[in-house]
Amino acid sequence: MQVYLPIAEMSVDALLLLGIGFGIGWLSGLFGVGGAFLLTPLLILIGIPAPVAVACGANQTLGSSVSGLFAQWRRGNVDVRMGLVLLAGGFSGSALGVQIFDWMRHLGQFDLAVSVLYVFVLGSVGALMVRESVRAILRRRRQAGPVRLHPHFWMHGLPLKVRFRKSRLYISVIPPLLVGFCIGALSAVMGVGGGFMLVPAMIYLLGMPTAVVIGTSLFQVVFVSANVTMLLAMQTGSVDIVLTLLLLLGGVAGAQFGAAMGTRLRGEETRALLGLMVLGVAASLLWGLVATPESLFAIGPIPS
Amino acid sequence: MKAWRPFLGLLLALRLATPAAAQPLPPPPPPPPGAPAEGRPPLVAELSQSRVEITTGFSGTDLLVFGATERLLGPGGDDVLVVAQSTPEPMVVRRKTRVLGFWVNGASARFREVPGFYLLTGTRPLRVMLPPEERQAKRLGLDNLPLRASGTQDPSFREALLRLKQNARLWYEDEGLMQVSGARLFRARLPLPASTDTGDYQVSVLLVRDGRVVARQELGFQVVRVGTAARIADIATTRPMVYGLLCVLLAAFAGWLGSVLFRRG
Repeated sequence: MQVYLPIAEMSVDALLLLGIGFGIGWLSGLFGVGGAFLLTPLLILIGIPAPVAVACGANQTLGSSVSGLFAQWRRGNVDVRMGLVLLAGGFSGSALGVQIFDWMRHLGQFDLAVSVLYVFVLGSVGALMVRESVRAILRRRRQAGPVRLHPHFWMHGLPLKVRFRKSRLYISVIPPLLVGFCIGALSAVMGVGGGFMLVPAMIYLLGMPTAVVIGTSLFQVVFVSANVTMLLAMQTGSVDIVLTLLLLLGGVAGAQFGAAMGTRLRGEETRALLGLMVLGVAASLLWGLVATPESLFAIGPIPS
Repeated sequence: MKAWRPFLGLLLALRLATPAAAQPLPPPPPPPPGAPAEGRPPLVAELSQSRVEITTGFSGTDLLVFGATERLLGPGGDDVLVVAQSTPEPMVVRRKTRVLGFWVNGASARFREVPGFYLLTGTRPLRVMLPPEERQAKRLGLDNLPLRASGTQDPSFREALLRLKQNARLWYEDEGLMQVSGARLFRARLPLPASTDTGDYQVSVLLVRDGRVVARQELGFQVVRVGTAARIADIATTRPMVYGLLCVLLAAFAGWLGSVLFRRG
């Protein structure tokens, strides 16, 4: 069943979009991430123009994160104060990111920049995740002694300290602001919510307890992706609501299956699997950049 | 301009009569060479649609240009050429180059006037019908499209543009799209793909005799978005803020609905 996408100005098989949505929803239910880091490259792969794919990635992430946020909120796993600090950084970061987005589109290097960023970010995050989870699995096997809550380093000497009660932290607001800013900028350019970067950053950089991390990251992701959607709609007009809704429709169904399966896996094993998948996406994107293209030429409209 | 309208009835009658071949038509009196009969146009043509509507379910469509000639079509007789194109727009062609092992967009050529859609079909191949000077003067055929590039003047960019547009089924030069029946009725198929640009399309029907264009008729059609697709694109461009807000709210609502279903399940 073909459906015409009014902003992408092309027609795509609706069942294919529902299927992609289902797959992404399944993964986001399983791993607790938005899944846009997989969605945006997939959309580009099926021929959606890169600016539209990025904008829809952000819009779809918003939808899928809202449902996760509701569930976490009911369990009281959201540190609102930490979320607001991250958000302040995130908003200013995505304002900058949207400018970069527009600038790259005019340079004609948008597709390349998105791919390179993806390879770099996914490659490093995936490698870190795999390394950490393998260590955790090994440690569990060895039955090591008690682990410190979090190690103290230079970051804890910064001024402007604030108490984050839910996260059981007393730290400077500068690191969370910076983390929020960087992820906000990346989410505007890459069309991701940033959950897969935010979660490790909160655990390893800020030292937050894992239970609060998921809920708080969803809190930040919902508002940052809503903001990015707004900014992209206003500045580049590349958000395709038909595409987004079709993806979400599949995603809602897929998330149920994913979450049911997720309860049967251990935390470290889930993280290792997610890390491997992230690495896989990075590798295939890298191959796309390095392999000799079928046609050495590409045509496109001149951006206004 | 609409002087040929009265002949449309005749034309339709011909169209109905020919496939059945039930009533043999009286042979037309041969007109004196060089002087067509008074008041009788040498060529009449019409489009099957003057408006193509892009709805949410649009996946491409076929248009027909049909018509009849006064003299017989075919070897030794007249020929018909149909040229359809959309309003030209600027385009950029980029060549990928290898930088540190990565393929990046390198040199580019900007073409000021590139028709998004171009189709040329005829009763015979163009190069057989018209000599090169005539083709060039009338700008007929893919080789004679007025594609002037700014930036790189390398001819390979022009060739790439031609190749990519033909591969995308947006540019045609193919006599297979033209059908002739009864040596007098012609019918050209215009396949518009799903990615058809919106806007005005120009269709020229040319009558060719002895290597010269002796008559032409200009037709046109419009491709417009209608219904939901049109409204979405319209709001997105005219009121981006409202549209952005709508996208945010709709996605959030879909997500909330998902969480409700999720809890019940």
